Amino acid sequence: MERIDQDHIRNFCIIAHIDHGKSTLADRILELTETVKERDMKAQLLDEMDLERERGITIKLNAVQLKYHADNGETYLFNLIDTPGHVDFTYEVSRSLAACEGAVLVVDATQGVQAQTLANTYLALDNDLEIIPVINKVDMNNAMPEEAKKEIENIIGLDCSDAPLISARTGMNVHEVLEQIVAKIPSPKGDPDKPLKALVFDSFYDSYRGVIALIRIQDGSLSVGDKITFMATGAQYLVTEAGIRNPKEVPMKTLQCGDVGWFAASIKSIQDVRVGDTVTKADNPADTPLEGYRRMNPMVYCGLYPSDAAKYEDLHEALDKLKLNDASLQYEPETSQALGFGFRCGFLGLLHMDVIQERLEREYDLDLICTAPSVIYHVYLTDGSMLEIDNPAKMPDASKIDHIEEPYVKAEIMTNDAYIGAVMELCQNKRGIYVGMDVIDTGRNILTYEIPLSEIIYDFFDRLKSCSKGYASLDYELIGYRKEDLVRMDILLNGETVDALSVIIHRSEAYQRGSGITIRLKELIPRQQFEIPVQAAIGGKVIARTNIKSLRKNVLAKCYGGDISRKRKLLEKQKEGKKRMKAVGSVVIPQEAFMSVLSMDDNDRK
Amino acid sequence: MTANSIPSLYVHVPFCASICSYCDFSRQVYNAETADRWLDAMERELHARADGLKPETIYIGGGTPSCLPLFQLDRLLTLLDPYTEEVKEYTVECNPELRDRRVIECLASHRVNRISIGLQTADPSLLKTCGRRHDAADVKRLVDQFSACGISNISLDLMYGLPEQTMEQLEQSIAFALSCQPRHLSLYSLTIEPNSVFGKKGVQSCDADLEADMYECICSILREHGYLHYEISNFALPGYESRHNTNTWEYRNFLGIGYGAWGMEDHCRYTHADTLRNYLKDPLYRNVTELTEQERMFEAVMMGLRLRSGISLQRFSELFGTTPETCYPNTVRTLRERGLLAETDDRLFCTEQGWPLLNSLLVEFMEEAQL
Repeated sequence: MERIDQDHIRNFCIIAHIDHGKSTLADRILELTETVKERDMKAQLLDEMDLERERGITIKLNAVQLKYHADNGETYLFNLIDTPGHVDFTYEVSRSLAACEGAVLVVDATQGVQAQTLANTYLALDNDLEIIPVINKVDMNNAMPEEAKKEIENIIGLDCSDAPLISARTGMNVHEVLEQIVAKIPSPKGDPDKPLKALVFDSFYDSYRGVIALIRIQDGSLSVGDKITFMATGAQYLVTEAGIRNPKEVPMKTLQCGDVGWFAASIKSIQDVRVGDTVTKADNPADTPLEGYRRMNPMVYCGLYPSDAAKYEDLHEALDKLKLNDASLQYEPETSQALGFGFRCGFLGLLHMDVIQERLEREYDLDLICTAPSVIYHVYLTDGSMLEIDNPAKMPDASKIDHIEEPYVKAEIMTNDAYIGAVMELCQNKRGIYVGMDVIDTGRNILTYEIPLSEIIYDFFDRLKSCSKGYASLDYELIGYRKEDLVRMDILLNGETVDALSVIIHRSEAYQRGSGITIRLKELIPRQQFEIPVQAAIGGKVIARTNIKSLRKNVLAKCYGGDISRKRKLLEKQKEGKKRMKAVGSVVIPQEAFMSVLSMDDNDRK
Repeated sequence: MTANSIPSLYVHVPFCASICSYCDFSRQVYNAETADRWLDAMERELHARADGLKPETIYIGGGTPSCLPLFQLDRLLTLLDPYTEEVKEYTVECNPELRDRRVIECLASHRVNRISIGLQTADPSLLKTCGRRHDAADVKRLVDQFSACGISNISLDLMYGLPEQTMEQLEQSIAFALSCQPRHLSLYSLTIEPNSVFGKKGVQSCDADLEADMYECICSILREHGYLHYEISNFALPGYESRHNTNTWEYRNFLGIGYGAWGMEDHCRYTHADTLRNYLKDPLYRNVTELTEQERMFEAVMMGLRLRSGISLQRFSELFGTTPETCYPNTVRTLRERGLLAETDDRLFCTEQGWPLLNSLLVEFMEEAQL
């Protein structure tokens, strides 16, 4: 492969609100630059995970190198990094931004600026990136490109006079985007003659080659055979392979200054490679590492337990591997009386939690029980000390507690006039405190609320989407802890407290939530061979109760000679169903039950 | 194993005059020409498979055997004549729409001695829901017609948990059935099979508590009338338990003949061709599933515990050289402790509490066997 000098390299990412067309634009760019042959093309090409394609979202970032023959007759090397759009994955976005000089900001002409458009743009500005605004979906009937441009100019303050009006779906004007990338985004500034400094912006595990690190070379170069040092961990390795992706892996002898690529070095120890670390050469090291990333702290915690206790070690190993390219995932061993050995895991948000659970189940073939997500509470004891509690079961006895504080977020919700009432009602139901409303354009508003994080983490997104018919977007940030009248509610099945079902709730809602939870558990827990009382209790005092009636009949109506195989399959199905449940004492509880304690009460249900 | 040591013969007639809403068996609407070719194929299969067979029971099921017209039914029964020498129980399933006296006489003349009739329910509107074309009076008439021809060993099939069925409707159906003085009764709760008309229409199963109430009601009424509750869904006057079906519950071999019939011989279970057309081409084709010892043991438990008397330990030992307790030590122990299983010197059986929960019990057996 012929070398292209540093002046002709452009490193950029595409940022956008979820569903505004990032991955589709990436697809078109790959096609236009003939990086991918038409016959190999499939939608959302950079979304490698099945999960990403199925849900139509980007979870992991992905970097590809492509060549572009510009109108000025010269050939440019593009390194394109696709980024997630969901608020949970802001962290991934900030990682990819650090490897770029520019960002293509995609805004949907039918929806205009949305909450994540803002959040991602601010991240890009923080990283000093050149931003190219692009208006997408202009071919749709309800497209309002001029309004979208105005919004970008008014809200973000970016000049949109020459923003390309494109359709990523049809490819219309995508060429213009590529030309602007050449013209506006600066080439990488690094010095090829300085000692190697490369930023590790992602990594993953390959069972044959060990850890593969994705890097951006800031200064110097890296070649196969080099002995390198990870500056934070001090670990040293011999580079065995290096290359770029287009999007298939293309091995290269040397990665040069400004390049975005990968290398392998028979790294078996996952802990040695930290995303955000700087790679340098062992014999000619740089004196200071690059600025890493702000470490993202998990906001949501839940317990993950293998359904089959024997799979504990498998779960441990799977978490280790996922952690490798998802530094924000945190976990530590925990034990539950009800569920046995598992892990308390911290996530950036609910979608992140969902994705991790699903990846563990699919990619590592594990059956999991997940407890209801919790935030971190600050529990002040009467002796003056403070405990950080991320698991309701660990809440100390009420007599020892002086007061409890819970995290609040500032939530900014963008929505249309028509849905303001519904959105405000939702926020109020979630204990939100109204802060203000800004009219940003005709018919569009930003509502600001302060809401307890615990109220946002469960089903807030879903409800927001449904109450606004999809015309509302959310961004939130932590604003600190506040004292609230919170209590731990325990759930008793057959007279025994099931620690994994405990929740921390506001005292004023206790009765309503308690009866809602008991009723939901009654619906979810299958009848068993004896009657099961379901009780909700606070500090030993029962506040709600119902009964799961006993199973009276579970037998095949007919079973004769010819039926045996089929009837055996029916039993096998029952057996498989049981596998997805957990025996807690004498009661068998299905997986969904553990999450259900956070659903809203009957009268709030959709 | 040679054919002559197989105790039971099952013959499947895959035709019906019409299709019932709850059924998903191998069956199609009767057609005379196809039925002729089917009989040719049956003849070939019998010659090849049943040579020297002297079963103690024969069962002709379906489908609807009685939808065959006289000449074809006579041909079928004639084909089976050579195997009737030692038959003690010879059952044919009949639909209440059967009226032709000559057909009834034909059955009697070929040594058929037991008739199973699908009453399902005595309620006219529920019969209609099920897609049945007869009424309760047809059943009564048919039972009398058979008795007149010397066949008094009659079994009636009833269903409960039908869509919208009430307890009163069920009680009336049972009363009606008893008025026909059957020797044997089978009562099945409606199972919505995905491939049945009910399944395709999305009919929901009846409320679990109502179904359990109905079952209890059935058991107590029939017991009061002197019927032995000898299997989960089957009741008989003393001495009239179905021998043929008892053989399968005791996990004995049986030869299955005809498209749609299953059979079990030599640790293998088999079906025939997947379509009637293919069966006509190659009636000897068998789709054989070989069963492991583990699977056979579980199946013997699964079938045996359906009987009131449970599993004969002697029989189990003859089959597998061991006892259920040795194979499933934890399950047998805990189920006994929970009062769901009981054991005498020679038998392992469900208690009154355990019997209606048999599926839950069997799942535990399955888990221990890691099937």
